[in-house]
Amino acid sequence: MFKKITTAWALHRRAAMIVALIVLIIYPFLFSNQYLVTVATLGGVYSILAMSLNLISGYMGITSLGHAAFWGVGAYTAALLSTKLGWPFLLTLLAACIVSLIFGVLLGLPTLRLSGRYLTIVTLAFCEIIKTVETNWRSLTNGASGIVGIPKPEIFGYTFSSPKQIYFMVLVLCAITYILISRLMDSRLGRGITAVRDDYIAAQAMGIKDSRYKIMAFVISAALAGVAGGFYAHYMSFISPLNFSFDYSTLILSMIIIGGLGNLTGSVIGALLLTILPEALRPIMEWRQVIYGALLVVVILCKPTGILGNVNLKHIRQRVLFDRKKENEGKKDEEGEVKA
Amino acid sequence: MSTPVLRTEKVTQRFGGLVAVNSVDMQVNKGEIVGIIGPNGAGKTTLFNCITGQYTPTEGKIYFHDKDITGMTPYEITELGMCRTFQNIKLFPHMTIMENAMVGAHTRIKENLWDVWFHTKAYKKAEKEAEERARKALELTGLTENPYYYGTDLPYGKQRRLEIARAIASDPEILMFDEPAAGMNEGETADLTGFIREIRDLGYTILLIEHDMRLVMNLCDRIYVLDHGNLIATGKPEEIKQNPLVIEAYLGKKA
Amino acid sequence: MFFQQLFNGIIIGATYSLVAVGFSIVYSVLELVNFAHGSFYVLAGYLVLTMYSFMALPYPVALLASLVITSILGALMNKCLLEPIRRKTSSGESVMTATLGVSTFILNLIMVLYGSETKPFPMPFDLGRIYIGNVIMKWDQIIIGIAAVIMIVIMSLIIYKTKIGSGMRAIAQDVSAAKLMGVNTEMVITVAFFSGTLCAAIAGILIAMYYGSVDTTMYLGVSMKTFAASLLGGIGSLPGAALGGVIIGILEAFVAGYVGAEWKDCMAFVVLILVLLFRPSGLFGHKEIKKV
Repeated sequence: MFKKITTAWALHRRAAMIVALIVLIIYPFLFSNQYLVTVATLGGVYSILAMSLNLISGYMGITSLGHAAFWGVGAYTAALLSTKLGWPFLLTLLAACIVSLIFGVLLGLPTLRLSGRYLTIVTLAFCEIIKTVETNWRSLTNGASGIVGIPKPEIFGYTFSSPKQIYFMVLVLCAITYILISRLMDSRLGRGITAVRDDYIAAQAMGIKDSRYKIMAFVISAALAGVAGGFYAHYMSFISPLNFSFDYSTLILSMIIIGGLGNLTGSVIGALLLTILPEALRPIMEWRQVIYGALLVVVILCKPTGILGNVNLKHIRQRVLFDRKKENEGKKDEEGEVKA
Repeated sequence: MSTPVLRTEKVTQRFGGLVAVNSVDMQVNKGEIVGIIGPNGAGKTTLFNCITGQYTPTEGKIYFHDKDITGMTPYEITELGMCRTFQNIKLFPHMTIMENAMVGAHTRIKENLWDVWFHTKAYKKAEKEAEERARKALELTGLTENPYYYGTDLPYGKQRRLEIARAIASDPEILMFDEPAAGMNEGETADLTGFIREIRDLGYTILLIEHDMRLVMNLCDRIYVLDHGNLIATGKPEEIKQNPLVIEAYLGKKA
Repeated sequence: MFFQQLFNGIIIGATYSLVAVGFSIVYSVLELVNFAHGSFYVLAGYLVLTMYSFMALPYPVALLASLVITSILGALMNKCLLEPIRRKTSSGESVMTATLGVSTFILNLIMVLYGSETKPFPMPFDLGRIYIGNVIMKWDQIIIGIAAVIMIVIMSLIIYKTKIGSGMRAIAQDVSAAKLMGVNTEMVITVAFFSGTLCAAIAGILIAMYYGSVDTTMYLGVSMKTFAASLLGGIGSLPGAALGGVIIGILEAFVAGYVGAEWKDCMAFVVLILVLLFRPSGLFGHKEIKKV
């Protein structure tokens, strides 16, 4: 059953994509309830974070517990530049991207020396240190009380303030993230990343400079998370260190594991699921984290590799098409023989 | 004597107090099939790893043509035109047969992030070239069935061929095989012998480590014999067969 | 001042060591970052509170029962949740996420049942204190330190001297080889979870005694610090993990005393990163040799 669905999906990938896009575009007009649009926007932010983390933890195979730090760095960069220096939205977004990118290099460097198991804890350490600095460098970050009054996104005088406008902005950012990562993975560079993850010794022997690929994965991932952070700061107009704590790193990691490592659509599904779930459980407020924890366990127990883990649509498509082509050729040959 | 493509000069590798390879001189000429043999623990694999850049030799020099490649990284060496396979097959499990072979072409194509993200002409050309090289290598190695299954799903013998295809796709001057017949039965080994000869006839130079005496004796033009890290004999297969030192190393003194 | 900080640091560090040792036992067997470890640590304290204050059991009984229940829960988590997942997938990330789920579940359940505010932890005896120079040493502090050390020694003896311990070390090196040698791997792993959780539970109770209170926020800080501690010493080395814990305890005490309490919680991580920059396998870890 699952196989049939994925095969059909793989064969009609473009159609599925267009349908999904149409649904996402008409979504905010379906409901008069603005709250649902806001939840979707948050889901969009998490989708960007999950997709970018997937690059490190899924494709590159380094389990990272520090992703919220990049998010936070981006958010603080954008928030500070716009509230203290009055930079416009696009510039703060760019700055968020660049500053996070620099931190990506910083966290990427230890990957060259440390083995996977040590790295995971180092990423955790990185996340905690960043959070502590955000909390304690009061003169700059205003400490635990956070930064308020960050202006809404504005591009060339047009302000994005209604939930719908913000929703479409995050939709565009998500699409860009999706395209950037999927195109990256569908190239020589992506093959390099996969090769290094699968077997770095064999990868080196094939002429792949493994260190370059590790750093590249971290840098791109961090930069994208930084953009998500920058956008988040402007969209919420308030941020505090608590938004970017270790809990959020594990939340984002849970998203990509439930969605399936190494599958971008899976990341988006995981992100949406884990955004909607706590909201859906809101009526039973105090129990919701308890249920959330239990559900996390149950999902992993039922499908340990996640919903779309180890499903590579491109491979399925290529395989099926090749078999079909061969079959057709076989038939033609038979016909030819009959005629002769 | 023809010009050497690969030459080692007094290569020594020590691990702590252990001398794994002791001052070995050897050379590989264009178009030759050269074998390195020796009993277990003779230092064959260590020597091999020195040449392919996995280890940096403690002493001595390695030359590719006239270029000193001592201490270069494995990827630099591959880029220069030497590519290896592994004794315990190392395919990329998350890649299809085609992609495995395309990774071989990694050093022969160029794409940067800009090309990749905007699907420029350069990207399309490079991807096409990689696929072309991979396809050729797969045809050469007889892996013509559906190339979009995962490489690790192939039967053992074919996995080995895929590894060789991957190496060929990197367009090397020298192909280096680390125990290519390991784990193969007689029939498969015979196939492999024929296959390696075919590759040589296409103009590749081949250096291999092997355990299987029959394969080496049938296949190699020249053989180097290592024992306890020392080079104890070198020559044509017939000469090696009769060399008392070699017989002693393999069978012990009394035999 | 200096010696007082040193003393406090050593005592708190000893409890960190105990948690780190427990974490290390599971980690070295499965290479699993067990997030639930810290939640068992919290749970043990609350169980004592429940049984002593609400159910009016005698103090020693409450302590013992809490330890036993928590350790069994740890072993059950492995048997009923993690083992089935391991059987289905080789992906360590999935198992790790499951432990994350368990820890979220336990901590939030405690919060729902007890509320999130700090609860006073019962300490029925006042043992008094002694003075050495200017240093004040409370007897309960000393007992906490000694208890932690004894537990670490016992655990080390189990790991390094008993048959089941050698089973654990065998699995840590090579699971399939251990299986072939007749090690009942699943049983050994369950024992590892039991003893690891036991360490966490004891440490949790000792810390609760030390501060005279329990709350759920102590989970995060301590569990992550102990990940850092076990790495600092070098994963797989119990003495390393123990020393890592003490180093972090001392460092925190000094940073809190001389720099500012708000910076103390991230010291563990700063030191960890600095150490790993120079010794990528930790202070006592063995260098991994890559094989071609």
